[in-house]
Amino acid sequence: MNLPPFVLHQPLTIDEAVATFAQHPGEADWLAGGTDLLPNYKWRLNAKPHVISLHRVEGLRDLTPTHIGAMVTLRELEGSAELQARLPVIPATARQVASVLLRASGTLGGNLMLENRCFYFNQSEHWRRSWEPCMKAEGDRCHVVPQQELCYATFSSDMAGTLCALDATAQLLGPQAGREVPLQELYLFDGIRRHARTPGELLIGVRLPECAPTWRTGYRKLRLRGSWDFPELGVAISIQIVDGALSRLRIVLNALEQAPRSLDSVTKPYVGGPLSDQAIEELAAASFERARPYRNTSFPPHYRRKMVPVFVRDLLRHLRDS
Amino acid sequence: MSRHGAHHPRSVVGKRMPLVDARRKVTGSGVYTEDIYLPNMLVARILRSTQHHARIISIDTTEAIEVPGVAAVITGAEYPNKFGVIPISKDETALATEKVVYVGDVVCAIAGSDLYAVEEALAKVKVAYEPLPAYHKPEESLEEVPEKIHPLGIGKTNIHRMVDQDFGDIEQAKRSAAITARGRFTFQGVTHGFTEPHAVVARYEVDGRLTVWTATQVPHYVHRALSEVLGIQMHRIRVVKPMVGGGFGGKSDPFPHEMAAAILSMRTGRPVKLVFDREEVFLTNHGRHPTSTRMEMTASEDGKLTGLDIEALIDGGAWSSFGVISTYYNGVLSVAPYDIPNFRYKGRRVFTNKPPSGAMRGHGAVNSRFAAETLVDMIANELGIDPIQLRLRNLIPPYTDTVNHFRITSNGIAECLEVVRKASDWDSRHGNLPYGEGLGIGCGFYISGSALPIHWDPARFPQSTVHIKIDMDGGVTVHTGAAEIGQGSDTVAAQVVAEVLGLPTSMIHVKAQDTDLAPVDLGSYSSRVTFMMGNAARRAAEQVRDELTAAAARLTGYAAELFTLEDGTAHCRSRPAVQVPYMRVLHEAIADRGALVAKGCYRSPPMGGSFKGAAAGLAPAYSFSAYVAHVRVEPQSGFVHCDKVWAAHDCGKALNPLAVEGQIEGSIHMGLGQVLSEGMRYHKGQLLNPSLLDYKIPTPFEMPDVEVFIVESDDPEGPFGAKEAGEGPLLPILPAVGNAIFDAVGVRVFDLPITPDRLLKAIEEQGAADATATSSKQGSTATGRTKRGYVAGGATDEPGPALSRNQR
Ligand SMILES: Cc1cc2nc3c(=O)[nH]c(=O)nc-3n(C[C@H](O)[C@H](O)[C@H](O)COP(=O)(O)OP(=O)(O)OC[C@H]3O[C@@H](n4cnc5c(N)ncnc54)[C@H](O)[C@@H]3O)c2cc1C
Ligand code: SF4
Repeated sequence: MNLPPFVLHQPLTIDEAVATFAQHPGEADWLAGGTDLLPNYKWRLNAKPHVISLHRVEGLRDLTPTHIGAMVTLRELEGSAELQARLPVIPATARQVASVLLRASGTLGGNLMLENRCFYFNQSEHWRRSWEPCMKAEGDRCHVVPQQELCYATFSSDMAGTLCALDATAQLLGPQAGREVPLQELYLFDGIRRHARTPGELLIGVRLPECAPTWRTGYRKLRLRGSWDFPELGVAISIQIVDGALSRLRIVLNALEQAPRSLDSVTKPYVGGPLSDQAIEELAAASFERARPYRNTSFPPHYRRKMVPVFVRDLLRHLRDS
Repeated sequence: MSRHGAHHPRSVVGKRMPLVDARRKVTGSGVYTEDIYLPNMLVARILRSTQHHARIISIDTTEAIEVPGVAAVITGAEYPNKFGVIPISKDETALATEKVVYVGDVVCAIAGSDLYAVEEALAKVKVAYEPLPAYHKPEESLEEVPEKIHPLGIGKTNIHRMVDQDFGDIEQAKRSAAITARGRFTFQGVTHGFTEPHAVVARYEVDGRLTVWTATQVPHYVHRALSEVLGIQMHRIRVVKPMVGGGFGGKSDPFPHEMAAAILSMRTGRPVKLVFDREEVFLTNHGRHPTSTRMEMTASEDGKLTGLDIEALIDGGAWSSFGVISTYYNGVLSVAPYDIPNFRYKGRRVFTNKPPSGAMRGHGAVNSRFAAETLVDMIANELGIDPIQLRLRNLIPPYTDTVNHFRITSNGIAECLEVVRKASDWDSRHGNLPYGEGLGIGCGFYISGSALPIHWDPARFPQSTVHIKIDMDGGVTVHTGAAEIGQGSDTVAAQVVAEVLGLPTSMIHVKAQDTDLAPVDLGSYSSRVTFMMGNAARRAAEQVRDELTAAAARLTGYAAELFTLEDGTAHCRSRPAVQVPYMRVLHEAIADRGALVAKGCYRSPPMGGSFKGAAAGLAPAYSFSAYVAHVRVEPQSGFVHCDKVWAAHDCGKALNPLAVEGQIEGSIHMGLGQVLSEGMRYHKGQLLNPSLLDYKIPTPFEMPDVEVFIVESDDPEGPFGAKEAGEGPLLPILPAVGNAIFDAVGVRVFDLPITPDRLLKAIEEQGAADATATSSKQGSTATGRTKRGYVAGGATDEPGPALSRNQR
């Protein structure tokens, strides 16, 4: 399969990158490791005539426990001794993404901005022509939830689950200004729009709270094979227990819907109380209730949903007892 | 020692050695079809059908041909000659002529200077279709329909082939049985997943000769089909097989793209290359048939198997391919390794508007084997007899005939069973492991080369011929038509010749790729190459050996019979001091006569019954195997981890134990895919997962530790006693895993693949059933969960229970 023709831009600074993008409104894409963008381009999925590579851009490769640049590769996250010592959940999550080869190219920024996925979307042109393209590609209806106007393509980034659970903040820079938003708020439950971000806004990196290393945070991923399968459910949980009581509890369900979902209304009543076996069972059951997978990945949705309480229970117990 | 007068200890055969082309593979220097670049070469792509079943009203290519860089556009109308691998079911044309029969069918092909031009042109071809009713469910294809998929359908149906065989008295066996186990099994279609996509380069030359380089398992069939379709005599066509990146049955048919590339080259007078992308490989498929199998097995109270009744409905997809044979194999290859006196088989193969099914490693035998081994296990469990013990009681002995007249020669199945039983510590562990952990056993039986060649006159032509040439330089050139496809056939040829001539394999140069040079061999399928080509190579080498020993006799004055060739030297057996170096002997042998040339050939002996279909499944020898698998099941999620396999395979004699181990390990990897994760999934006939990401071939993470035990039963007719090791080793792993899951959690799933969601559902259903049950056969385990037998899915929709016992 060959790539569609496009103009490749290779800016050297962040400002130049943002300015270049601004010159091609609606006609450009950012390129980081390319492990997500280029396969989609080969399938002619919303390919643009201008591609702006971030490879030569300086200032996107910071790697500390409080700040990670967008161009840090997943392999670098995996191998970082500092993260391993202070926030081991980040290397542990990175290690579960895709495969070694893909992680060598794949970046954190690309992972967080990953295109959403769906059985009816991630297919070749020939396939889409013989079925009927959906509205996320060149068509006008959805094959997953036909009655709806919304796209339910699944957001399948592993890192996003963990970083949302860690209360990460996204740093964005647009042609007019820069801003910081909680990562969780960046995502939209809309498989086509996906982000509360203008396309020309560049993700510079993520900031992590100073106190994050004092929390206990974990990530569980559901996939059929031990390598390169996208998550079909990701559960990220971050807790802190002070004097036998939960001072913090965040449960993020990932890779079920169009965006990671933080179960704050479910977890809120438990903050301040003990993480008893009963609390764990209740949280597992409540998570199951909130889980809404769609039929557009490999495992059937009922199974992915059934695994939610299993993962939540296991992970909560593990974090509590570790 | 084998009966093949090896009069000195073997120096090459039986030794572990890397395949002769291994270095080229691992360094990337090997030349595959895609690596071929010829001057002035064009590239081509195919326009494929977007319709499941439709009449072609018109194909408008006027705009396509105008695209700059485009050299030729072809459609099917001009090449109506049919081809197909089986002579009685030729149904394919180079490109679609009147109808398309599945999404992916070949409609038009375009050659141009570069892919961008070609793809732009493909997008400009306008095809007008009249959609026809499409049939995707095999059950629907049993019925009469207004518009058959193609004329080969029987009557007004889409049934391709019906096989009905009946030996002994199965009804009587059922009436008198103490116990009957039954199940309805379903198998999703699986595909080969070879590394190298299909690729072809065609060059038509001014002198009217056509050369086709293609990734194929059977150059000879491509050769024939090209001749038929293009209307060119065979001698004006040359087929070359470069290195092939795996086939597993998926490259054993001649294919439309090979014809299309040839036609495009004839049109343009320029070489044309056509390489598939992965989706095209999935659509071209020819993988294992999606199958539903209903099977019943009967036994006496003491565990003697008395009857086997099989009904299989196999989904052939759009074309015939090897389907006639597949239909037979789904039944008849279940007659051993157990001695079952009453056997009935009803097989139906149907056409559907889906990617065609065909031959895949373990052709026809894999699905039925899973079913049969599951039923054996159910019977053992119900009778309270150890499953290995029960198998041992029922084995067919060596040198006997099966109920359907297969001639069994060497047979090491008993040893296979004993070896894995001991190695896995079966007797103390099976049935006694904690909940969630289990051991399972599965056996296998497979042909070592189909005795009935396709496209051939068995009474006259050999199935394999090998030529050998040795000139002054001493190097030995071996010409064979057997196709090296990664399985190691070049190495077999080199080893056999080296052994006979007492030379190192580095002096043997195997040329196995060119129909201009190689004598005909029927190719790499049905696990025939080691047996048939190996015998032909041995015979050719023995002629050369005789010339060399005669020369040694002339040089020394001792009788030729006294000489053996070893370590590059002719040794006189009666006078150890008399030794002549190989080169001297050789030069004596070729003095005044020129290079030594010799040929050897092989044809399987007459055998088998005389009833309809008697030849299907006949082979000059059969391989046997037994595996034990250890699994851990996560009862909360239904995940199965197969972490250890003890694999015993009777290959007669391992010419190269390293290669045999490789075949066994690869088979386990492939079989694990089918039993646990792989499946071609369709939604309304549309293939949902035509990519290696979504089609779940196991990764190295899923690969268990494998301990291989090679059992050598020394076949009297195999080369140095060898039989096959290419396909048989696939069979036992599937049921071994299924039976191990039962040992782990007391649940059987009859629908493959046993994905976590399916197994979890079965475990939950079992839990619900347990809650109401009063007693449990195996009792509770340490975890408090029971391992009581529970059969999920298929078996429960049968009339009557999955297991029934007659009251007496
Ligand atoms: C076979 C396969 C398996 C995979 N498995 C997994 C998996 O298990 N888990 C998983 O999470 N991912 C998986 N991936 C997806 C992908 O490889 C990784 O997510 C990777 O980290 C993406 O990073 P990248 O740098 O390659 O992204 P790119 O492909 O370069 O970019 C991805 C998207 O993000 C945008 N983007 C990139 N950088 C920025 C930025 N700084 N600012 C704004 N937008 C930006 C791009 O425009 C593009 O739309 C898999 C991919 C493949 C091909
Ligand atoms: S969810 Fe619907 S609209 Fe979105 S990608 Fe899938 S089929 Fe298309």
